[in-house]
Amino acid sequence: MKTSFDLIDLFYISPIIVLFLVSLVPILSKVLNGNKEPSSFFSVFIPVCGGLAAAVLSVGASLYIMGDPNIKSSPLAFSGALIMDGIALWTSFLVSIILCVIILISKENPYTKGKQFSEYIFLLVNSAVGMMIVAWSNDLIVTFIGIEVMSLCLYILIALSNETRHSKEASIKYFILGSFASAIFLYGIALMYGTIGTTYIHEIVQGAREIISINRVFLIGTGMVALGFAFKVSLFPFFNWTPDVYQGSGTPLTTFMATGVKVVSFVAFLRFMTTDILGGVHSEAFITTLQWMAVLTIIVGNVAAILQDDLKRILAYSSVAHSGYLLIGVIVAGADGGQSIGASGVVFYLFAYAIMTLGAFAVVSVLEKDTDTPIKVDDLKGMSSRHPLLALAMCVFMLSLAGIPPTLGFFGKFYLFSAAIAEGFFWLAVWGVVGSVISVYYYLRPLVVMYMSDEAGAGIVDRTPATRFAIVIMALLVILIGLASEPFYMQMQASVLSLY
Amino acid sequence: MSLSVLIFLPLVYALIVWMMPNDRAVRYSSLGFSIFHLGYTLAFLGGFDSATASLQFVERVMWVKGAGIEYFLGMDGISLWLIVLSNFLVPLIVLGSWTSIEKKVGGFHVSLFLLQSTMLGTFLAMDAILFYTFFEASLIPMYFMVGIWGGENRIYASMKFFIYTMFGSLFMLLSIIALMFMTEDQLGAMSSNLLQFYKLQIPFVAGEFLSTQTLLFFGFAIAFAIKVPLFPFHTWLPDAHVQAPTPGSVILAGVMLKMGTYGFMRISLPLFPEATQYWGWVFLVLAVIGIIYGALVAMVQPDMKKLVAYSSVSHMGFVVMGLFAMNAEGLTGGLYQMLNHGVSTGALFLLVGMIYERTHSRKIEDYGGLAPAAPIFTIFFIIVTMSSIAVPMTNGFVGEFLIMLGTFLAYKPFVIFAVLGVVLAATYMLWMVKRVFFGPAGKIVTEWKDKNLDINPREIAVLTPLTILIFWMGIFPNHFLDFSKTSIDHLVKNKSQYFLTIEDAGKAPKGTYSQIGN
Repeated sequence: MKTSFDLIDLFYISPIIVLFLVSLVPILSKVLNGNKEPSSFFSVFIPVCGGLAAAVLSVGASLYIMGDPNIKSSPLAFSGALIMDGIALWTSFLVSIILCVIILISKENPYTKGKQFSEYIFLLVNSAVGMMIVAWSNDLIVTFIGIEVMSLCLYILIALSNETRHSKEASIKYFILGSFASAIFLYGIALMYGTIGTTYIHEIVQGAREIISINRVFLIGTGMVALGFAFKVSLFPFFNWTPDVYQGSGTPLTTFMATGVKVVSFVAFLRFMTTDILGGVHSEAFITTLQWMAVLTIIVGNVAAILQDDLKRILAYSSVAHSGYLLIGVIVAGADGGQSIGASGVVFYLFAYAIMTLGAFAVVSVLEKDTDTPIKVDDLKGMSSRHPLLALAMCVFMLSLAGIPPTLGFFGKFYLFSAAIAEGFFWLAVWGVVGSVISVYYYLRPLVVMYMSDEAGAGIVDRTPATRFAIVIMALLVILIGLASEPFYMQMQASVLSLY
Repeated sequence: MSLSVLIFLPLVYALIVWMMPNDRAVRYSSLGFSIFHLGYTLAFLGGFDSATASLQFVERVMWVKGAGIEYFLGMDGISLWLIVLSNFLVPLIVLGSWTSIEKKVGGFHVSLFLLQSTMLGTFLAMDAILFYTFFEASLIPMYFMVGIWGGENRIYASMKFFIYTMFGSLFMLLSIIALMFMTEDQLGAMSSNLLQFYKLQIPFVAGEFLSTQTLLFFGFAIAFAIKVPLFPFHTWLPDAHVQAPTPGSVILAGVMLKMGTYGFMRISLPLFPEATQYWGWVFLVLAVIGIIYGALVAMVQPDMKKLVAYSSVSHMGFVVMGLFAMNAEGLTGGLYQMLNHGVSTGALFLLVGMIYERTHSRKIEDYGGLAPAAPIFTIFFIIVTMSSIAVPMTNGFVGEFLIMLGTFLAYKPFVIFAVLGVVLAATYMLWMVKRVFFGPAGKIVTEWKDKNLDINPREIAVLTPLTILIFWMGIFPNHFLDFSKTSIDHLVKNKSQYFLTIEDAGKAPKGTYSQIGN
């Protein structure tokens, strides 16, 4: 086995290198400045520039790969540990953008601004580095390392909040359950390695179908790895941590978990499920279990969201429900053998989901004036008259999450359900639809209080120009990409071909 | 003339109205815009060629290439009058709500124009996904209209309306997706174009519910049945109507319910001929139950608006019955009754709204002896009542007669029950008229003895066009039906293998036509 690496590999991972270097800027300037918090230039402007640079480099790498006729299949880097395929580069682009938005929100959110902000940025950016590793990994062990880098940073970040009680609880809860899931994940990898003799995805693909038919240990191993992913993306019955952790964490971090963590975990999950492990003789039970998990996730997430009053909890359960929709796509991608329709549906949905969730949480963040009062739905009262633009943006996000055309969320669901129907998972599509109908109830509640009640709710006291800027951009993206989803979807369809 | 302009011009109006400085400017500019838009619509009427069943004024652009979704608009004899009806009602609504909408006047007119745009889009879309998009998008402005300007229980009503309708339409979405994959299998390329859908051979097994065509048929039918609404899916309607502000009720009854019947006519009947033939009795039975049930419930309503709302259930039952008779008489009657219902029920809601605005009561028992106190109002009310109960010389008679004729030719027994519905309609409407307008002076008339209860010139201006139409449509139905005849005959003649063509490019005005290879 070759252990050296080429110079081109360093170009491929340049987004990670840039992010890591940038993450050092605020914390170094704090040290050099006599332990005083650096100015916004160092702690916000440079990290955001770094994030944008990472996004540009991701696009650059994909253009380079597409432009070079010598590169036929997706190139592997670092002896096959990382894969530079379309999905990887899309995801790292998306993660960079998410990171930029989160940094902007963090600077203005009462949970995270103020003391220790440079340490906060250091951890946040490195968590994004972990995310990119997860998205790029072609080796289950590297996936594990990426998940740990991402999660360890997050555990500390959550506890770092200005609010002292709930954030500590959330951090410990996330840490203990997360470690438990990681351990099971690692054990699953060990069992798989013991039977198939490799942890590389592209090598697992070649033998998985046969070995899963004859070897129960391999089957158990894959089940455990799937379980680890199920925890990370909060699928039924491993979703219980989600609302508590999402509620307890500072809103920017909740946003980061709901978008970044979920996106990359789903990408890794997708890579794992498309290794042909669902094609084996004994895989029916596996597929059936996953289908039930998808259906129950959709139902539980949506029904539980109806019962909540806290806006962050509603969005947390909504994010659980969206995991259920995404799992439909992952099952289709795993079971459809060679057709890319399921996988491209998942990637497009992740993209859509990330944008609208970022926007919705950003609105919550704007509303927060201190760390003691959680934002209830009723706090949105009268927003339409006092902050018409914010109310309109929230309206767009909610309708998009509910999947009303012609928003981005509608096309996400359209591609996902199309994939399910194309591959004969008709009843999964029906459950997806039933879930969407239930979800309309809680997505419309903010609209009701914003537009239909005359009383005034909690006001917005602080000035939050950067967050508002991000909200407007996200709302525009939801509408515009919704109207012209075609080119994006085509790109994603091309990008997932490397999975098969 | 361009259909895109017709659809999206109201969005421009909405934007302008949004920026208007005060309520007065909003009202006058909205009135001007909506009248201008009606004029623009009539230009289409002038350019419409009633000798062909082909789609006219076609506009086609690929929207989502990979899935074959097109931005495809076209007009034929079926959609023509629904377009005119929608645009005819909007100026009346603007004028009718001059004083009744007091808060957020700008927002109200913005919603109205958004609603107009999505309604027109629904009727003109010739691509299933585009149709679905407009069909769903129309919920949002209506939701706000009921939820912001509605009555006390408005939030419950608007929520129920939204979720109920969305439930149905999502099944339509699944069916559309399934059909799109069928086009890929059978025609070589994925498409959501309705013209391509018509070419499909959808396997049908008689008597088996789980066969492809039956499932798809019911997938669409549930969406349309909820929208119409057909018994037993009607429960959202009384809530929505009673809570909606008068203009909301008018547009809901006048146009939005027709999206359901239009969907039956445009998609269900031509696309699933065997299933329609085989399962048609289900809808005829439900329609007849709806006719009688709606009438009986209307009879016992103490609230005038609720009475009109339930009469809607009854009238829409007639429309569905006519459509499922599947012959020229029934379909013509169904289409005509859609327009009649829009005119007469719209007028009834306006009338009830006018008196409510003055007295703040819709309870029938509070009135009595209103005729001497408000003579002009009474005259209008009675004319509209006559139209609603289908007295000859009014529009209602033509529609119901054609529907009964059609149903009689196809399914005799159903007509017997439907006639009962006509009698009941006369009962509940005339009984209401008697209790409200005649007899000894009731509580309200006594209270208002020294003040003027009658309608003012603005309201007369709202009601006059509707009254003229009632007689015009009743006495000269051919003025209207001639435009639709070719399209309906084409549908009846080719019902087992329906197809639609696009009028050739030479005839269409320059610049409104772009051809995409099929």
